Amino acid sequence: MKQIFLCNADELPENTVRKVDNEEFGDIAVYNLGGEFYATADLCSHATASLAAGDIEDDLIICPVHWGAFHIPTGEARGFPCEINIKSYAVQRDGDALYAVIEEQNDSSLIAKG
Amino acid sequence: MTNKIKAIDITDVLDDVSEFCDIENNRISGEVFFRKDIYEQELEKVFARCWLFVAHESQFKKAGDYIATTMGEDDVIVVRQKDGTHRAFINACPHRGNKICFSESGHTRGFICNYHGWSFDISGNLIGQHESGIYENSNFDASKWGLREVAQIDSYKGLIFATFDADAPSLQEYLGPMTWYMDALFDNQEGGSEFVGGCIRSTMDCNWKIAAENFVGDILHAGWTHDSAARAMLGGAVAKVSDLPESYSVNWNGHGYEFAMDTVGNVATLGESALNKYLHTIKPSVAERLGDFRSNLIGAVSSATIFPNFSYLPGQNTIRVWQPRGPNKIELFTWVLVNKSASDEIKEKWRKGAMMTFSPTGVFEMDDGENWEYCTKTARGRVTSKQDLFVGLGRETALSETDLPANVYEGQLNEANSRAFYQFWGDLLKAKSWDEMPNRNFGRVKAGPSVEIYSAQESTK
Repeated sequence: MKQIFLCNADELPENTVRKVDNEEFGDIAVYNLGGEFYATADLCSHATASLAAGDIEDDLIICPVHWGAFHIPTGEARGFPCEINIKSYAVQRDGDALYAVIEEQNDSSLIAKG
Repeated sequence: MTNKIKAIDITDVLDDVSEFCDIENNRISGEVFFRKDIYEQELEKVFARCWLFVAHESQFKKAGDYIATTMGEDDVIVVRQKDGTHRAFINACPHRGNKICFSESGHTRGFICNYHGWSFDISGNLIGQHESGIYENSNFDASKWGLREVAQIDSYKGLIFATFDADAPSLQEYLGPMTWYMDALFDNQEGGSEFVGGCIRSTMDCNWKIAAENFVGDILHAGWTHDSAARAMLGGAVAKVSDLPESYSVNWNGHGYEFAMDTVGNVATLGESALNKYLHTIKPSVAERLGDFRSNLIGAVSSATIFPNFSYLPGQNTIRVWQPRGPNKIELFTWVLVNKSASDEIKEKWRKGAMMTFSPTGVFEMDDGENWEYCTKTARGRVTSKQDLFVGLGRETALSETDLPANVYEGQLNEANSRAFYQFWGDLLKAKSWDEMPNRNFGRVKAGPSVEIYSAQESTK
């Protein structure tokens, strides 16, 4: 298990998302949904796109390129053309600092939907 | 990054333009309404070069709002940007040319092509594709394959125009002093004007020029063509135009406006007395804003065309584009314009009044359509098409000493504007570039002191 520093909570206003570069595990998108923090992989599972450049609609992130959707709390693919779930990471808070918890060899989220 | 359109080659000029467009001798030939080769030349030398109306600013509220329309026969999308400006793109994917936007208007986060999933943001940038990996492996440079953007876009008093020609004069220069007259409808009250309701689309089997020319300066037809409709709407005949005490025809660069000074002659045809009353009520404030002269024009017996195919009627407040769809077909896009500051009740009365008169089932529109279709259909006859059509009324009516701007002619029962319209059209068909266009304007660029007032609002612009 690894902890990856994401950002400080005060850098992430409510209902926004930002991208955190990470070469080892892939870039991470960190979200503030009404005061709750979530993290997922930033790369869309359909085509090359940074989800952090997309729009948040309720608890979904809408990919900016083909407008597919993922469920922010779980990474589940929820809208065409996205079929493959993306990784989601638990977020730990230490003071103001937010960390993603990376469970290594945990690829269980990468399962085709349905 | 988006990509400006590639300029098209200007092909050779038809060798008989002076035969079918012979204004010096007060004649054109019927074939101008039917010949396919003339039409192909128009798409290239008129519609691909002139400023064309594409949308009204009031049709957009926020970034991502769009209108799909056409410039000539080219499909385009006009999209509001985050900075409040508007940009226009060809409505075709740069990959295989498929149409990318199928609805007439709406709000979107971008445009995705149905064919291979090319995705564009509202600024026209290509931001991704389905199977994006194959593009990355092909060293594909997405920055070169954004939506094709029109060469120039600009607006006047809410009216957005665009042109495919980077060498076209600026919109301001193109419109010239016609804007002085346009203000009488589009900017006669604080806050300006807006479209109310949607766009009515319909077709007529006529050439686009016969419609544009009707609005550029043909009030002559009204008393005769519209007699029965006027009796239905007004309970009596159309006012005898020759009895109106003061009227003019003005033109510039092929645009034209014919008008009387009777304030409410046009609005009266809507059969809504509340609208006549509204114009009388605002008239003093129009006089303060635009001067006494123009306060007489707000709903007067009048009509206008901005070359080539944007037309309007003050009073009836119908705004329209005659979209060319072949030499013998047009698609009409029409809207109703109202002052933003008018009450909802007044706006609704205008919308209904315009529908009763100038919509596909409107009483005046049907009168016109019948005539225009047969002006076009007769030209199908090989012999008929070569015969002369007369455009010589009002030959000696130009006013050289007037404070009115533009090329001014006395009287609205006059074919001066029709001649100027066909002359500009013929000049364009003969010119391989804007530099070759003869300047036939002789009037004032700015209004003189007796008709102009410089209100505080105008002087700050």
